[in-house]
Amino acid sequence: MFKFSGQGSITNCDGISRRDFLQAGALGAIGLTMPGFAKLKAEGKVDSKKSNKACIMIFNLGAPSQQDLWDMKPDAPSEIRGPFKPIRTKSNAFEISEILPLHAKIADKFSLVRSCYHTAAAVHDTGHQMMQTGRLFTGGVNTPHVGSALEFLQGRRSDLPAHVILPESMGPTGGNMPHGQDAGFLGKAYDPFVLNADPAVQDFKVPDLLPPKEIGEVRLERRRELRELVDSSVRNFEYSEQAKLMDSNFESAYRIMTSTQAREAFDLTKEPLKVRERYGMNRFGQSCLLARRLVERGVRFVTVNTFITVFGEITWDIHGSKPFTSIEGMRDIVAPMYDQGYSALIEDLFQRGMLDNTMVTCLAEFGRTPKINPAGGRDHWPNCWTVNFAGGGIKGGEVIGKSDDIGGYPTERPVAPKEIVATIYQALGIDLTTELPGPQGRPYPVVDFGTQAIKELFA
Amino acid sequence: MMFRSFIAFAALTSAAAAEAPSFRNTIQPILTRYGCAMGACHGAAAGQGGFRLSLRGFDDEGDWISVTRSANGRRLTMEDPARSLFLLKAVKAVPHKGDKRFEVNSPEYKAIADWIAAGAPGPKASDPLIVALDVEPKQVVTKPGVTLPLKVTAKFSDGHSEDVTRWAKYNGVNASVATVDEQGVIKTTGRGETVISAWYLSRLAVSTLVVPSDAAVDQAAFAQVKPRNFIDEQVLTKLRALNIPPSGPAEDHEFLRRAFLDTIGVLPSLEETRSFLADKAADKRDRLIESLLQRPEFVDYWSHRWSDLLLVNGDKLMPQAMWSYYNWIRRNVAANTPWDVMVRELLTATGSTLENGAGNFFILNDEPTKCAETISVAFLGTSIACAKCHNHPMEKWTNNEYFAFANMLSRVRTKNGAQADERVLFSAADGELVQPLTGKPQPPHPLDVTTAVSMTSTEDRRVPLAKWLTSADNKLFQRAIVNRVWANFFGSGLVEAVDDLRVTNPASNEPLFAAACEHLVKQKFDLKALMRTILQSETYQRSSITLPENITDLRYGSHYVPRRLKAEVLLDTVSQVTAAPTTFKIDRRNANRGTADSYPMGFRALQLPDSNIASYFLKSFGRADRVATCECERTNEPSMAQALHIANGDTLNQKLAQKDNRLDALLVSKLGNEKIIEEAYLTALARLPTERETTKAAAMLATARPEDRRTTLEDIFWGLMSSKEFLFNH
Repeated sequence: MFKFSGQGSITNCDGISRRDFLQAGALGAIGLTMPGFAKLKAEGKVDSKKSNKACIMIFNLGAPSQQDLWDMKPDAPSEIRGPFKPIRTKSNAFEISEILPLHAKIADKFSLVRSCYHTAAAVHDTGHQMMQTGRLFTGGVNTPHVGSALEFLQGRRSDLPAHVILPESMGPTGGNMPHGQDAGFLGKAYDPFVLNADPAVQDFKVPDLLPPKEIGEVRLERRRELRELVDSSVRNFEYSEQAKLMDSNFESAYRIMTSTQAREAFDLTKEPLKVRERYGMNRFGQSCLLARRLVERGVRFVTVNTFITVFGEITWDIHGSKPFTSIEGMRDIVAPMYDQGYSALIEDLFQRGMLDNTMVTCLAEFGRTPKINPAGGRDHWPNCWTVNFAGGGIKGGEVIGKSDDIGGYPTERPVAPKEIVATIYQALGIDLTTELPGPQGRPYPVVDFGTQAIKELFA
Repeated sequence: MMFRSFIAFAALTSAAAAEAPSFRNTIQPILTRYGCAMGACHGAAAGQGGFRLSLRGFDDEGDWISVTRSANGRRLTMEDPARSLFLLKAVKAVPHKGDKRFEVNSPEYKAIADWIAAGAPGPKASDPLIVALDVEPKQVVTKPGVTLPLKVTAKFSDGHSEDVTRWAKYNGVNASVATVDEQGVIKTTGRGETVISAWYLSRLAVSTLVVPSDAAVDQAAFAQVKPRNFIDEQVLTKLRALNIPPSGPAEDHEFLRRAFLDTIGVLPSLEETRSFLADKAADKRDRLIESLLQRPEFVDYWSHRWSDLLLVNGDKLMPQAMWSYYNWIRRNVAANTPWDVMVRELLTATGSTLENGAGNFFILNDEPTKCAETISVAFLGTSIACAKCHNHPMEKWTNNEYFAFANMLSRVRTKNGAQADERVLFSAADGELVQPLTGKPQPPHPLDVTTAVSMTSTEDRRVPLAKWLTSADNKLFQRAIVNRVWANFFGSGLVEAVDDLRVTNPASNEPLFAAACEHLVKQKFDLKALMRTILQSETYQRSSITLPENITDLRYGSHYVPRRLKAEVLLDTVSQVTAAPTTFKIDRRNANRGTADSYPMGFRALQLPDSNIASYFLKSFGRADRVATCECERTNEPSMAQALHIANGDTLNQKLAQKDNRLDALLVSKLGNEKIIEEAYLTALARLPTERETTKAAAMLATARPEDRRTTLEDIFWGLMSSKEFLFNH
């Protein structure tokens, strides 16, 4: 078992390891503000070069309907099977909905898990927490997003942050709970870098990444000089870890502001128009393209939120009534956009030879009711849904698990959210017994003790 | 001696008269000591490999059933104890995922074998119960590289004592000072202070170790300090013991800025700085402290602080209720209500939540266990949440105590009031909280109190609860509030984290902590009196410049420790320096109602009743979300997003560029360039610029082309406000 606790400390799970972890230096709390990774690295316990694996997590906020997309039930009565027909795919193992024709052409690259389920409340937020952190938040303990835990454990490998969220963090989805898209108990120092912009707009730029137009290079240099003038007058707190962290953050900020690599990573105009159009000139498509550019330049984990909210937007949340979406809305707007962006990403990664080292997983917080409701839509259904995986050492073209005749419950190989998260950790080379320092010194294994990855997925 | 008694058992097995080892007092400690009942093993909520024990053996009855009866009793072989699966697994004679725990024929092995041979008797009501745990030595001052064995003794209710050194579990909080092995032998590794705890049968005992610094310290550094009050005396005693010299006193301008920011969360104005620096009277610092404690901004600052603690949040409460809650806090801060009175009033609140804002505490904590946990963290600075499912693994709280305490809150009820959004709070005459382990209500009593409150009485149980909580005997209540106030002025608490008070987490200066609590009680919980004492102390007024011998000290008060300003204070100071106020938009996105409404212009961040504000600045600088009672909600940790926002974001840049701000006022004032620089420095940093700074900045202004004059001044202000000297209190 990997233990990131101080020398000579406890080997059982009841140790006060947060304090061990945080306390270094002759008289105690010196280490309190030092990032975990930097400290661990200083102690030689982690190696930033250890893993060249990356992950792109596409989170299908709103929750796509399994019966209408990737777990079709053509033999079921019409109120269950819905309006769409299955089509053949490049995989012998499964068919897929006619509204995802581009998926069908790359079905040898990804595998479906058709037996995902959870038992918490059927609100979006609970599923977001479990699918991204491996746990439901209870007792005020907010567990970290996989990407943030990865940043904590492995650090950065370029000028760019280790974990980036595109295009924005999840917004309100009705449950008024945290969504699990931050570093939770690991502390805000490990929160992801959130783009907070729409990469599809004409003059897209990362907020705060570059100075406002009126501040050119001359003024930028002058400002730096003036800041240095003040800071060099008073050297009262050069010893303070917090002050050092502030300085190093200004340095990282300047580094990312001035780094050609970083600037370029976010500059979509560097892509040929044909490529941009292949991904789709919309927020999701361009986010997928940006995700590929970021991974290419050293970002370890990119979370792409397909949507930000379920209110007043056309999304996967097809209740059939306002302010939500109808099945037709999904058919005409959501599915084509998604089909295009996802297939472009997989093809592009494959052609660039990046797919083997980059896991792409498409998750959702739950599935949808087998029976179409009176409004002509489908409602929340956490008892069974489908997710998919591609790349990062995953076999393509397979189906794991099986649902019953109406897509209502798993009949084979039920998969809980924590197993999904365990699968991601495993693909990223993180041992599943690795412990993170939780609140009040309680160590948290990255996933609940004993949780296994979905082994059948790995080649 | 227990160890010897095992040998005795072994010798006596043939003599049928031997008393069987007790499951409660012999077998359970073995299961804990050897890790069988740990969270990662059979102590997990679901057990491990089908075998389930309670975490650290808090449930004797259940564990006995698990060992002897579950799995069709296959774990024990009564006629041949050595063939019991229970023992075969422990010594790994058969495959065991938990590996070998102890050796065949070890004392623990024999004890278990004897117990099985005796028929594996269960826990009895007549078993002696542990009443005290003692560790020797309790306090050691020593050198690095020293080995030191501990001795742990348990006292039982039948009057006998046992040496349990071999069976206790040990833990050290600071491995850079000392480590402890499984046998309770301490090895000192570095310098500083640490605590080693020993745990046995849900009891804890601690031993404190001090390894003083070996630096050659100029004793004059100690001699020059003239203690102003008990804080200084206690800090000096500690510093002497650790051989850490104190830094000299802070300069006037440093003290001025520091005291303003820590006490009322604003910067001194240009005029205030000038007049304070010019004042030659000896008592000017005392007078400043007095005036700060009376300022209206004091009420803003501390109302905000307690609103963080009490979770005033417009996303959880309707607007009217939120205001009523906030105004209740504000009224009490303005009146300087003694802390104990304020807490008593809060916890016994009844009636309309709109008229008596305090009642909203129970709207937010609408369930007895949640309410008990919140009260514990907020007012006792200690978390009891672990004990909801099992005895607290690192503390003394038991599962029974948890439910006894929560049951004190089981009769709080609400009903709808006459107006919309109004709730009416009252205490019902019946209702009990069931302890899930027994299926029966746990007789209610406050923590650490053994006599239960009558279950048939219809008195509001919160009345005895509040009385116990705030009584002068309740040390935790005093420690919690003293620690919070202390942390506000010194950046970290006497105990860190601020709301993590436990036996195993010692204060940096225990006599000081005790004296400060005593002081508070003597002052009848007058928080302003405590603040005054802190502000007046030499310790608080010490420079933030370190000496080579105290540079590593961040806890003992040898110098002031610089820290980043908290989100709201930073935003307010940016507005204050630029004279460009901030618009605060109310965030109703969770209700799908956007961010259209704003607070009136001129509100400062510290005056906002609610954290539910759409503000990238406040969010990225780590404001508390006010969702859970925890110090961990707020962070002052610097991040790259903050640096990027200062450099390129729209907060500082917009305020600098805004028309008719302070920059425009300076430019039209006809002041000379040097005077402009002086005013900029005094406003932002409460100090005069150095000669180098004046020369350089004034020259930039002087050589700027007329159309560049404003942008040059913007950049000068930007340089000031992005500096550590501005972003930090020091």
